[in-house]
Amino acid sequence: MFEHQLFLNAVLSGLLLGGFYASVSIGLTISFGQLNIVNIAHPAFVIVGSYAAYTANSGLGLDPIVSGILFMPVFFAGGAVFYRVYHVCFEARGDDPLRGLAFFFGIMFVIEVLLIIAYGVDYRLVEAAYIGETVGYGAITLPLRMVAPFLAALILTFGIQLFLSKTFTGRAIMAVAQDQIAVQLMAINPTYIKQIAFGIAIMTASLAGALLIVIGPVEPSMGRQYIGRVFAIAVLGGMGSIPGTLVAALILGVAESLTATFYGPSWAPAVSFGLLLGALALRPQGLFGR
Amino acid sequence: MAGYGAARVLHGVTVHLEQGETVVLLGANGNGKSTLINCLMGLVRPSQGTILLEVNGVSQELTGLSTESIVDMGIALVPEGRRLFPNLTVRENLLLGAYRLAARPARAKNLEFCFHAFPALADRQKQLAGSMSGGEQQMVAIARAFMSAPKILVVDEPSVGLSPIMVKQVISKIDELKVAHGLTVLMAEQNFNQAIRIADRGYVMVQGQVAFEGMDAAELRDNDFVRKAYLGV
Repeated sequence: MFEHQLFLNAVLSGLLLGGFYASVSIGLTISFGQLNIVNIAHPAFVIVGSYAAYTANSGLGLDPIVSGILFMPVFFAGGAVFYRVYHVCFEARGDDPLRGLAFFFGIMFVIEVLLIIAYGVDYRLVEAAYIGETVGYGAITLPLRMVAPFLAALILTFGIQLFLSKTFTGRAIMAVAQDQIAVQLMAINPTYIKQIAFGIAIMTASLAGALLIVIGPVEPSMGRQYIGRVFAIAVLGGMGSIPGTLVAALILGVAESLTATFYGPSWAPAVSFGLLLGALALRPQGLFGR
Repeated sequence: MAGYGAARVLHGVTVHLEQGETVVLLGANGNGKSTLINCLMGLVRPSQGTILLEVNGVSQELTGLSTESIVDMGIALVPEGRRLFPNLTVRENLLLGAYRLAARPARAKNLEFCFHAFPALADRQKQLAGSMSGGEQQMVAIARAFMSAPKILVVDEPSVGLSPIMVKQVISKIDELKVAHGLTVLMAEQNFNQAIRIADRGYVMVQGQVAFEGMDAAELRDNDFVRKAYLGV
């Protein structure tokens, strides 16, 4: 009976965690999966989102999730500008993804250092009425600091999926990496579309970062813990598939939660790489790979 | 004049196209038909010469414009090798054709027309384009170009890789679209007999030059030069 409840609790909190992971990974699914831009710095952008929410929360008393949404346009614009720089310096000069990877690796450290200079290395946290509360039924208790990010992440995921599948710009984003010339023959400027797509990818980091700091305290180099997870999710989900990202994120969340509950939290990081290896060995196109 | 790097492919080619005409570019592989079409679409920059589009008596130079702006002016290309988006569905491919602003309002109507003209595609809207047969892919490619509501439809080698019966069908469909929507068609094609079926006029290209200009299909078919040099009879 006790085991049973423990299991159920672990699965439910794993699902909540997984929903949050989807919000962190969705930006990489767009940039890496759909644009072929290996943005290894994506988790670092998420941490910037955390600090933006922290600043708005501690300075203005703004709700962290609300400020995560409010900062989205700023992140979108930042991502679009960032893509321009990447395009001019790397993409336009020929296809060498390795140089792009080195560029983003460097960006990751630059972001970390800038955050350390601005905020120091200490953990920062936010305050909101729902942090610390729980909802429960019987023996099941779920902390609201996990439920709120889960719901916000679901809305983000469905919103992005709706945008990609139902709008002209969204369909252009899905097509742009498949055939550059064919895209131009559809009267689409590929650089412009990639710029918008990368802007959207970075925009999601604003909300994901806010959700991260709702879940727990954040420090500048914390993004590194997410590199393995987001790449595992993007690959397992089937490069570029938003529904695949959500399902893969939920699987990873549950797997990590069960591992942490029954074998100890120190094993949790091994789960993402285990899943990544398993996915690459058994189904390299991913769950929802086309 | 145009070419790729140091290789000159076209040498002083002059081709013109009147509204409502179907003009075919004939010639065997490697004689510059596709290069000429790529120049028109802005995919290859000619080293000399101009491409002019006359709309309502106003002449506009296309030379030097980007491919997307040329397509945006109502010139759609069905490219050689089809160039579909293989990981997107048939429907998504077709809707991408309607991306240009002028084509968006009519997309539902045009989509319906595509499914009417190509009934095979209606049942396969949700299938990934990359998983279809060559003939079906060619239909998607033509339908996708049509979805941009073009005034001029440019088709490059629609018969490549298709069975003879498929070639016949595809060529007929191009004519059907042209007649139904008053398009102007420029088609490059190696399959002489199929191409002249729908042609009003034609040019035979040999080694990057226009070797013969036929003012109607019969003139192309019966010309001694064409028979000797091109058909080998």
